[in-house]
Amino acid sequence: MTVVPQQTGGGASSLYDVLELVVDRGLVIDAFVQVSLVGIEILEIDVRVAVASVDTYLRFAEACNRLDLEAGPRKSPGLPDMVGEITESGARGKSKGALSGASQTVSDAFKQARDERSGDEAEAEPRPRKPTAARRKEEQE
Amino acid sequence: MSTYVYAISASSHPALPDGMGGVGDPPQPVRILKEGDLAAIVSDAPEELRPKRRDLLAHQNVLAKAGRAGCALPMRFGSVAPNDATVTDVLAERTEHYQERLRALDGKIEYNIKASHVEEAVLHRVMAQSPELRALADASRMAGGGSFDDKIRLGDMLAAAVKAQEAEDAAEVPRLLAPVTHAVSVGPASTGWLVNVSFLVDGDSAGQFLAAVERARTSLPHLELRVNGPLPPFCFVEPTGTTASAGAE
Repeated sequence: MTVVPQQTGGGASSLYDVLELVVDRGLVIDAFVQVSLVGIEILEIDVRVAVASVDTYLRFAEACNRLDLEAGPRKSPGLPDMVGEITESGARGKSKGALSGASQTVSDAFKQARDERSGDEAEAEPRPRKPTAARRKEEQE
Repeated sequence: MSTYVYAISASSHPALPDGMGGVGDPPQPVRILKEGDLAAIVSDAPEELRPKRRDLLAHQNVLAKAGRAGCALPMRFGSVAPNDATVTDVLAERTEHYQERLRALDGKIEYNIKASHVEEAVLHRVMAQSPELRALADASRMAGGGSFDDKIRLGDMLAAAVKAQEAEDAAEVPRLLAPVTHAVSVGPASTGWLVNVSFLVDGDSAGQFLAAVERARTSLPHLELRVNGPLPPFCFVEPTGTTASAGAE
């Protein structure tokens, strides 16, 4: 195989995931001026603040009550197959919880900030969804 | 007219993206400034440069094109020099440094990995590891969900366990992947992901790296791992800082 496998969703859809690399990493040279990134600072929101909230506690407690412990790892703690099975059965897709939910909020805030600054820009999806589905398909093969 | 700078490469780079569309509307044509053995990939800077989607993508696309055929040191988005002469002066002054970086990064690419928890799966995992949590959850279930205070207490403990699991996973992902890479750079930890790590990988062993990612996915099923790459070596352009040799623990 001569082609390096490309893992990004390509172009616009992957921009969000590498945004902080483009605007926060890379070579900086003192003799040059750096364009102000007002509006992008909002990315620095600490999403883990969201975990320490009453809403999260309640949601975790509810989610925990719904978990099928009899079928789960209680009888054989730490059995990875069991966790894997549950993950495969759809948790990956539907349980957008505290962490990814907060990520959504951040990207929404970011999008909003950007829209305010540049109303003429058509914005794409904040995060690529497709690669996850494609990946799952690969795993089945 | 000020000069927007995309990347620095060797002047012997086989396919510099001369003439390609760069930042701005209409896109400014990419030009090449050569100074001795080095070249700067530049264009005229648009009047009002802002971190808009179109310009961010243009910046990335020029870097991707430059990185495909040879080594290029990516500039951070929005680097603007007062004029072309300032750029060539910088190349002349720091020739040795940039040549060393180009040699060090030749044939290497960056992969960035971000991960977040799959909520149900991570709850399952923390419950599996804690008899105390299981007992509390059982009691709560028997009580038909329990009172508000019971739920808060259970949720509080679950959140603490999930947070501890986050820290564990943040360390585990680089540990699993570092052995097949040259260097690891840990990015800001708290912006929508619990793992944000870049790896410097030999272009030739990218397949090996991606296989290691698949193994990590299998062994950490409560994580959703997102892989982006190959990227220009954003996190490895400077030898010091957050980068570290993969072998040196």
